[in-house]
Amino acid sequence: MSKNITLAFTLNGEPVSIETRPGRRVLDLLRDDLGLTAAKEGCGSGECGACAVLVDGTARLSCLMLAAQLEGREVITAEGLGTVENPHPLQVEFAAHGAVQCGYCTPGMTVATAELLARAPCPDRDEVREAISGNLCRCTGYVKIVDAVLAAAKAMRGEEP
Amino acid sequence: MNADVRCPHDLAGLWPLLEDGAVVMAGGTDLLVRRRGELPTVIACLERIVSLRGVGEEDGFVRMGACETHARLLLHPLVRDCLPVLARALAVLGSPLIRNMGTLGGNIVTASPAGDTLAPLYALDAQVELASRLGTRRVSLDGFIAGPGITRLDPGEIVAAVLVPLPAPEARQHFEKVGRRKALAISVVSLAAVIRTDREGVVAEARLALGSVGSTVIRCKEAEESLAGRHLDRESLLAAGAAVRREIAPLDDLRASAAYRRDVAGNLLLRIIAATP
Amino acid sequence: MSPSAPADPGSFTGMSQNRDPLSKAVGAERYSTDFIPPGCLWAAAKRAGMPHARIVAVHVEEARAVDGVTAVLTRADVPGSNRQGIVHKDQPVLAGDMVRHAGDAVALVVAESREALAEALSRIRLELEPLPGIFDPEDALAPDAPLVHPGRENGNLLARGLVAKGDARQAMRACDVVVEGEFETPMQEHVFLEPPNGTARMTPNGGLEMIVSTQAPFRDRFEIAHALGLDPMRIRVRAPYLGGAFGGKDGATVQCLLALAALKCGGRWVKMCWSREETFLAGYKRHAARMRIRLGASRDGELQALDCVMYLDSGPYAHLGVEIMALGLEHAGGPYHIPHTRLEGFCVYTNNPVGGAFRGFGVVQAGFALERSMDLLASRLVLDPAELRLKNALRTGEQGGAGVTMESPSGVAQCLEAVMTHPVWANRMAWKAKAPPFKRRGVGIAASLNAMGYGRGLPDAAAAKLELTRTGTFKIFNSVPDMGQGNAAAFVQIAATALSQGSSCFELVQPDTRLCLPAGSSSASRTTYTFGNALLRACEAMREKLMARAALVLLADDPSRLRLVPGAVADETTGRSVPLALLGAMLQRDDRICVDQFVMPVVEDPPDTGKEFKLGFPHRFFSHAACVCAVEADELTGGVELVACVTAVECGRVLNPQGVERQVQGAAAQGAGFVLLEKISSEGGRILAGDLSTYLIPTSLDLPDLEWVAVDGDEPSGPSGLKGMGEVGIHGPAPAVAQALEDAVGLKISRIPVEPEDVLRALRGVRT
Repeated sequence: MSKNITLAFTLNGEPVSIETRPGRRVLDLLRDDLGLTAAKEGCGSGECGACAVLVDGTARLSCLMLAAQLEGREVITAEGLGTVENPHPLQVEFAAHGAVQCGYCTPGMTVATAELLARAPCPDRDEVREAISGNLCRCTGYVKIVDAVLAAAKAMRGEEP
Repeated sequence: MNADVRCPHDLAGLWPLLEDGAVVMAGGTDLLVRRRGELPTVIACLERIVSLRGVGEEDGFVRMGACETHARLLLHPLVRDCLPVLARALAVLGSPLIRNMGTLGGNIVTASPAGDTLAPLYALDAQVELASRLGTRRVSLDGFIAGPGITRLDPGEIVAAVLVPLPAPEARQHFEKVGRRKALAISVVSLAAVIRTDREGVVAEARLALGSVGSTVIRCKEAEESLAGRHLDRESLLAAGAAVRREIAPLDDLRASAAYRRDVAGNLLLRIIAATP
Repeated sequence: MSPSAPADPGSFTGMSQNRDPLSKAVGAERYSTDFIPPGCLWAAAKRAGMPHARIVAVHVEEARAVDGVTAVLTRADVPGSNRQGIVHKDQPVLAGDMVRHAGDAVALVVAESREALAEALSRIRLELEPLPGIFDPEDALAPDAPLVHPGRENGNLLARGLVAKGDARQAMRACDVVVEGEFETPMQEHVFLEPPNGTARMTPNGGLEMIVSTQAPFRDRFEIAHALGLDPMRIRVRAPYLGGAFGGKDGATVQCLLALAALKCGGRWVKMCWSREETFLAGYKRHAARMRIRLGASRDGELQALDCVMYLDSGPYAHLGVEIMALGLEHAGGPYHIPHTRLEGFCVYTNNPVGGAFRGFGVVQAGFALERSMDLLASRLVLDPAELRLKNALRTGEQGGAGVTMESPSGVAQCLEAVMTHPVWANRMAWKAKAPPFKRRGVGIAASLNAMGYGRGLPDAAAAKLELTRTGTFKIFNSVPDMGQGNAAAFVQIAATALSQGSSCFELVQPDTRLCLPAGSSSASRTTYTFGNALLRACEAMREKLMARAALVLLADDPSRLRLVPGAVADETTGRSVPLALLGAMLQRDDRICVDQFVMPVVEDPPDTGKEFKLGFPHRFFSHAACVCAVEADELTGGVELVACVTAVECGRVLNPQGVERQVQGAAAQGAGFVLLEKISSEGGRILAGDLSTYLIPTSLDLPDLEWVAVDGDEPSGPSGLKGMGEVGIHGPAPAVAQALEDAVGLKISRIPVEPEDVLRALRGVRT
């Protein structure tokens, strides 16, 4: 039985210090201990992407990360991208374009595409499909998700819709 | 959840952990899935060890740190421009999220016959640099992997880097992965080819590595030799394909039958001279 | 930002602003999985792992001794009947003496932590005596077949159905041409992203409250009560937004096990959440089916007779198997006019995984068989497959295969024409000719229909409650869970339009059996139609009430000259108005609430057939569709890419085009996965592809931009003229892709999913 460690990292822009077991899954840490339930467990084995969060700007599967790995990192969850009062363009466009049906895959999708747009502000449809190819959606058939990401990219470039 | 997890910042901090029986973890995309039911008691995570990262050119080799993620390798010009056969495989490995975490070292040590980077590395005549408290040694990748999940790592050793002799710039590099779907798919058959031709288009040297059709990646020597001295055309590739079929040892499994794998493995050679699949 | 506390029940499934897409997009919307009360216990089932066995003993002492375990229960600890089920109560909560499928729950563990839970589960020792199992529905009907429920009067036969019109066998003899074939469709897994889960506790006064991912909160109470000997009226079920369901959460998944756990938790919250692997093992599946068809026509392609037999694999429990078979037989004639039909079905118990509801149930199976038979016919008669379908398309006023007259507008012909004029079909010859090296191209077309609602027997009913708040806004008490189909948003739109208010004035209370009124399940393409109609009536009552109350304030002696305007009731003749906020403050709560109900109309003169189907036959309203799929097959690998998929749907008038398009795209995606990728590989009752790395659904790289083409229609009885259409879009891809592959490589598919090996064999000219 491992001893607790104290982790210090940045979470959604704020410093966090938390005591936990080093082998705790990051997904469980976020959901159960920190109340950030946007990251979801769809499979627990890296096959669905619903648990994705940004770690130092890179979208990673929190179901395949252990708490100890977070030390000193910058973590951004879907909740950190934006809120109802102040949503991220991706979140706005997902909602506006019908890209959200049941919504369970949506947080993971926004995390994966936030990373895409940070490195490729002008993607085409194929690049968007590639970027979300690790995020399963069973409701939408992906079309409107691609539409939404392209619209968000446009908004973020300051262009007219 | 009860695992003790250590993240040493250098190799010196790693060796004592290995001596105490820690299990090594790079990206975690294999280990944490395979060992979900019960994690090892102590895990040594390599992701903070800077000397295990980095991509550079060294004495005519491309040196790739074993813990460089697939995604970062894909972005590196040396990999993209000089090792397209590997880049192509990296691009279709897993998913973008998996590629952000998985590593070459991990893919090698997991040693699945279906590991996407392996056939390209075999076709590139890759070597692995192994490090331990006692120092480093280099061995050919072909031979280092002995079977599914089995490598010739000594206790206390890790894979530190992968070294690939710089291919001749004019060499044709080709890769194709056959999976049941276009992302998040385990390879059912894969072909990695590095073929050097002279100015008349006659094959000087061909290297053909087939994945997912044996207990390890297979370099099909008979097929390679059949191409030497010939032009790359439908006829020569059909003959090479027939040779490939004789040399591989595929199995039936849930994803595909041995017969299908054998059939397709030979077929894939034909696409070497066509446009991208 | 300070980390927020885990959800408390008060903040849960309470007010949800109708901006649910944004709430979901920012990760703020809480699903059932996200309700994690501090200090809650955890429960999980130990499952048999063997498809057919006698339970000799269940050893739980070691498990009980694990630190942190508070209870380990077996059948002996189950009060009440220990039987759950939607119609037939044949599924044990905890198996006592027999295991009938590998996912049967044999013990239940409750623990303080998930680690203790896992530890305890691993220490339960099952002593099972394997019994020969039965894994094929036809084999299960043989006299010497092992019995799934020994002692049952009809052995393994759950139900037999016969729907007939005219005299098919006679008419068949007179046909110029008869084609026949045998077709099989496999089990399909829903793969909703949110697994089955819930949280429950006993209340201080001895009731039970549960928050659960469910399509049928009102019925769940009765299922739980019957299983455990509780009073259904003292069970409160709340249904937050579901992370997908598609039928797989219709009928108890966790509910009875969770309630059982709660009984032993002394008032503490207990949570159960299935893993993905457990969902494969224990969750419901689309029924696997085998169909034999004889289809007869005249030389010019006019259909004359259909004689078909359908075998449905129910697994060991009925779930909705009989209703599914009924729907399958009702749709077996497809969207075509066939004067003579004989449609027979057998729904059979086996030791395979449990068959249950899944989008388009019964119709997917029957539709595939009939469409492939149409392709055989087109081939035999050398007729264009689209023209053959158009020729026989059901028109309004004609009788469907079950002998029910199509009163509701039948848009089959329009749907076919719409996709036939689409470039994917219209330009297919030129497109095919341009196939790149090593690729073969093909295009296929299919047509379908899908009934809406429950059909006869079970009232397709809903009651709606609408409240004017004290501040003059409105609360809609939604009774039908939103599993992603967007019904919550649709209801706000319906009410806003009916009451002439902005949609931001409306809040939606998610289904809560204590606060909302009973309204049937979220299923059967019925929720917008049935609950929407009930809501419309409640809105009408509210409108009248508001005008009458306002008339008192305005001293208007004729309330009918008043009008509802945003935020007020106005008297146009005097220019005066009363703010709704004033009325809200004035009226007592009883007077601020309007309740009304609606029952979907049923077929008035049901045909004299299918009498054995007490529930779910026949239906009165149908939506229609046609689908064109273009595929590209690879000559070297046999891999098949779906390059285009266009679906036209007729569903009455379209209230919300984006809403319809989303349903069509999602359904088509599931249909595409069904024909090209999804293979559960069950052998001897054991699922070999039981996780997401082996059971493959389409990723974003496996689908094209799925297209929807709108076709005009109008169903006068529907709210704003609409018909439910959430299911009809799933039927097209399987037969359309099958036809397209025959076009591309000559592969004649009678079973799905299509395997690359099949394609390679066809390319080599080897007969399959």
